[in-house]
Amino acid sequence: MKTNTVIRLMSLMSIWMWTGEGQAFHPVLTSNAFLANVTSNTVILKQPYCVFNQPCPGCEIWLVAGLCSANGKFDALVNNSTTNILSLSPYPTAFNPSSQNFFLTRVGLLSDFPCNQFSNGPYFVVGADGICSGVNCNGVLPDGSTVCFKYLLIDANRTLVNSSNWSGNITLTKLIPLHTIYDGLSARSGAMVVITTILCVAVALLLLLFLIMLCVTCCAKKDGKQISVMNSIRIPRYDTHNLKERVHPYDNPAYQSDLKNYSTSSTLPKDGARKL
Amino acid sequence: MAAGALTCLMFVVVALNAIAAAAGLALFAVAIWVAVDGYKLYPISGVSGKDDIFAGAWIAIFTGFAFFLTCIFGIFAALKRSRPLMLVYLIVMFIIFLFECASAITAATNRDYLVGNSHLVKKQMLEYYGQDTIQGKQITQTWNRVMEQVECCGADGPQDWILYNSTLKQMNPTYNWPLSCCKRRSTFELQDPEGCKVGLTSTLFTKGCFNYIESVLSRYTWAVSWYGFSVLMLVFFTLVIAMLYYMYLE
Repeated sequence: MKTNTVIRLMSLMSIWMWTGEGQAFHPVLTSNAFLANVTSNTVILKQPYCVFNQPCPGCEIWLVAGLCSANGKFDALVNNSTTNILSLSPYPTAFNPSSQNFFLTRVGLLSDFPCNQFSNGPYFVVGADGICSGVNCNGVLPDGSTVCFKYLLIDANRTLVNSSNWSGNITLTKLIPLHTIYDGLSARSGAMVVITTILCVAVALLLLLFLIMLCVTCCAKKDGKQISVMNSIRIPRYDTHNLKERVHPYDNPAYQSDLKNYSTSSTLPKDGARKL
Repeated sequence: MAAGALTCLMFVVVALNAIAAAAGLALFAVAIWVAVDGYKLYPISGVSGKDDIFAGAWIAIFTGFAFFLTCIFGIFAALKRSRPLMLVYLIVMFIIFLFECASAITAATNRDYLVGNSHLVKKQMLEYYGQDTIQGKQITQTWNRVMEQVECCGADGPQDWILYNSTLKQMNPTYNWPLSCCKRRSTFELQDPEGCKVGLTSTLFTKGCFNYIESVLSRYTWAVSWYGFSVLMLVFFTLVIAMLYYMYLE
């Protein structure tokens, strides 16, 4: 019993290793980490090393690329038709509304992809020719659609020798239209708010201080105290000497009556203090 | 006010005006630097119609020089101890203050519209890159130069060209992104044309250009806005002291 399980395990492992060595029997996406592995209209696949293991001199590997919804249609057409399958659905009209929705394009000679040179590096770009006009050119796929691929082994007489399985569904990226990008104001930065508020407050303060200053200076002019300064007084006659020719002061107190001489109207100031 | 204190105040006014004159002249020079646009990124703001950062720079050129001249006049008016001259000085400075405020606020506000996030720049690039109009040619030239010099691709990365519809994609379905995204040798030829076409990350630039564009436009904005703001704060202080001086004159 033990040997039985060991043998089972060994055979399972050998099968796993054998399939691990070669490629799966259908197209797969490249294992490289390219940025454009799957775009809206192109796909990058691994090159078909070791997909078809049979000897077939002069045979070529072709790729069927189309909408996954057309898989059954293609299989039915291939089984039933006897005409050249390569021109079943030319690329220029392949994806029109009532068309087949698949096209065929040449990948390379079978001898270019031998099993012993298998590596994960080489890639094949589906859609490399852009929008082209050949019957079997490698044109771009419809934007954002779900596509499936299949390899065909075609011999020199253009007859189908073998075909791989269909690949899994590969959904192309749908292009986001530009009008959905909102390019309006996202948020106001803090710096802008600070600058605006402080400057507005500063302008208001300045205006206020300016008006206060004008008020203060204008009002001070109107009702201030008048300071009057006395200039020198002009007197017509200035009696400095209390004696005229007549009297000697140290002589006689009897001349007191002459006081009148010192206070006549002619000796008093006539215009008064000059106001400033 | 005592004569000694008035003289002291006069010297303060003269000194502040001298500093403000120098600051105004520096604002003039910085605003000229912004207006000349040495990084040549004007088309990004011009095509979108949001070029008020540069409009703010032009206003700052005039207000900076006006500050310089008026502050020199202010020094003269203070030394002359003349009230009418000081009043003229105050009014003119206030008008220039208003214009400079407008310049600083406009530049700061407009920057938020342009480079608050990468959407506007990205949308503009996708719409105008490769377009045959005058604006398209300007944008194409600008982006090519930025991508080659700064070694970047797209606004946020090369994925911008794959995820979004663009004029380039409609015109040229075989190229996923512009050739300027690819690394080049010193002889300017592409390092690996096929690798760049499929997106081999070692053959093309994978970082986005938005950080660089945002940093340059922010640099312009802060030159006009923040430096203008600091000049205005100095002038505010100078004007308050000048008003005090005016009140105590005569």
